[in-house]
Amino acid sequence: MKLLHVVGARPNFPKLAPVSRQARAVGVDQVVVHTGQHYDDAMSAAFFRDLGLRPPDINLDVGSATHAVQTARVMERFEPVLLQHRPDWTVVYGDVNSTLAATLVAAKLGFRVAHVEAGVRSGDRSMPEEINRIVTDRLADLLLTPSRTADQTLRAEGEPDEEIMFVGNVMVDALLYSVQRARTVGFRNRLGLSMAPVTVTLHRPANVDDPKRLTAIMAALREVAAKRPVVFPVHPRTRGQLEMGRFDVGSVKLIDPVSYLEMLDLVEGSHAVITDSGGLQVESTALGVPCLTVRDTTEWPETIECGANRLVPDPAEIPGAIASTTRLDDPPRPEGWDGMAAVRALDCLRTR
Amino acid sequence: MTQTVVHTGQHYDDALFASLLADLALPEPDINLGVGSASHAVQTARILERLEPVVTNQRPDWVVIYGDVNSTAAAAVVAAKLGIRSAHVEAGLRSGDRTMPEEINRIVADRLASLLLTPSRDADETLRAEGEPECEIAFVGNVMIDSLLNALPVARSLARASGHVLVTLHRPSNVDDETRLSLLMSALRDVAAERLVVFPVHPRTRDRLEQWGIESGAVQTVEPVGYLEMVALVDAAHAVITDSGGVQEETTALGVPCLTVRETTERPITITAGTNRLVHDPAKLPGLVRDATRPADLPSIEGWDGAAGQRVVDALIAGGLP
Repeated sequence: MKLLHVVGARPNFPKLAPVSRQARAVGVDQVVVHTGQHYDDAMSAAFFRDLGLRPPDINLDVGSATHAVQTARVMERFEPVLLQHRPDWTVVYGDVNSTLAATLVAAKLGFRVAHVEAGVRSGDRSMPEEINRIVTDRLADLLLTPSRTADQTLRAEGEPDEEIMFVGNVMVDALLYSVQRARTVGFRNRLGLSMAPVTVTLHRPANVDDPKRLTAIMAALREVAAKRPVVFPVHPRTRGQLEMGRFDVGSVKLIDPVSYLEMLDLVEGSHAVITDSGGLQVESTALGVPCLTVRDTTEWPETIECGANRLVPDPAEIPGAIASTTRLDDPPRPEGWDGMAAVRALDCLRTR
Repeated sequence: MTQTVVHTGQHYDDALFASLLADLALPEPDINLGVGSASHAVQTARILERLEPVVTNQRPDWVVIYGDVNSTAAAAVVAAKLGIRSAHVEAGLRSGDRTMPEEINRIVADRLASLLLTPSRDADETLRAEGEPECEIAFVGNVMIDSLLNALPVARSLARASGHVLVTLHRPSNVDDETRLSLLMSALRDVAAERLVVFPVHPRTRDRLEQWGIESGAVQTVEPVGYLEMVALVDAAHAVITDSGGVQEETTALGVPCLTVRETTERPITITAGTNRLVHDPAKLPGLVRDATRPADLPSIEGWDGAAGQRVVDALIAGGLP
């Protein structure tokens, strides 16, 4: 059996890592295609190393562009690769443009597609990720879900039962595999912080492209930073917004983007996390670190249900929410957050 | 409300396109993207790239998409990503066969469109079963029948043949497989021994026939015909043999027996109306053509009344102001 994995951007890599490791462990042939949606090569390479992934077999170098143009480039460049490799399964991950593009190409050519992290929905179609998810799920032949909620969502969308397979959360696989190593990195110590910090990540257009909104968020972060260190690894895109608009960052500590292991170490040692990323909601929850999500919706309701995550769409509420958070005694373990999701995914792929 | 027509240029035959515009009394498209023919992925990619700036500049209240071609799916993706609503005319049709590229285009378009304008009640049911919300589904009827009824008086005045058997074949599963195409042509030669068989042939199919040395016999292979001429040929036919979706509906509306050389149809209403029949095995065609008879009365189908276009516009205006 031969798998052809397609990844395109940083959020995909921790999902690919456990699946690809398990495929290797059970002796399945595999090819990794990196579409190169991610524009920062150094960051991409560091992520692959951190996750114990070999460099991608094929790089499509599509680069950054508008959604339509990026999707178009992936389609054009992926089609000949698929026809050359003719895999038993094209395995796509998450919700980036490459996920949709590769799925569309494979469906048209009659190749079977498995979607890892199927059935995840925010319910907000103004998010480009939501469009990528719903098209991918509709076309994929095997829907590998991270939660029972995702199963229900797919059933309600009319997907046949035999295509839906609950496997659990592969991001948690990657995290449990890496957390020991992350502690040895000592990244948090190197930052020389006086106490457990609040870690911030923001990258969504809704938060960082609207100057009014970004001003309000930065004001809240300055307030938090008056009481406790605030560490903000800045996405290049957000740094651009901050510098162009000359926002007052106060004592918020802006740092360069961090690697996967550095981030795990930083989050594990944090008092709380403030984010608009999907992956970090899962990772902070798995580490038992309280998370405040600066959005109206989440595609990870299980992080809210277990009490680790909270939606705080109004930035003015952030300082109060931070003051009242405490770390959870034991990291929550929703069903399928057991480090075995990739094992179950490979079982599904091999028995079909 | 104003309108802009974008032609992606998937279709590469200028002469045929010009005659279609004339036959349907359509003006030249406002914008032509000139994408030309290519693999599915490349063609879809070109449409994505070239349509995005157009939609960004125009920022319409609705992007209206039609049927099931690559442009339909590509435009749905572009609009959805830009947060502009799309309306799909002919929503909810399914063959159930995902090896047909059209089926992929349909399901992507329906998944992303905010207004699903359906040609038949079974399409409504299909969309409900796929979890589409009730408020997005609007039954409007069949717009192709609007065109057909509109064109019929002129088409009839052009009719040159009658009692013939009309053939149209274009699907890869029929015309790109040597064995299959041989069997089909052999059946058509048998039919042609008894009746005039008129087969407008796509240049690509003509090349295949020559390349594989498949004889046409008494079958009259002719150049592709315009819309009005096609309507005239369908209307006056004894029976039609086809693999096209549109022709299955046109024959049903006109009460002409239709034999569809496929295993599935996305238009089951043409079967239940009694005029259409799936005939996958070419060997059965001569006998079925011989036995074909027109129904005593034209099938009466809800929404096939020539006013579907009007209901489409009503639905767009009703939903037009966010």
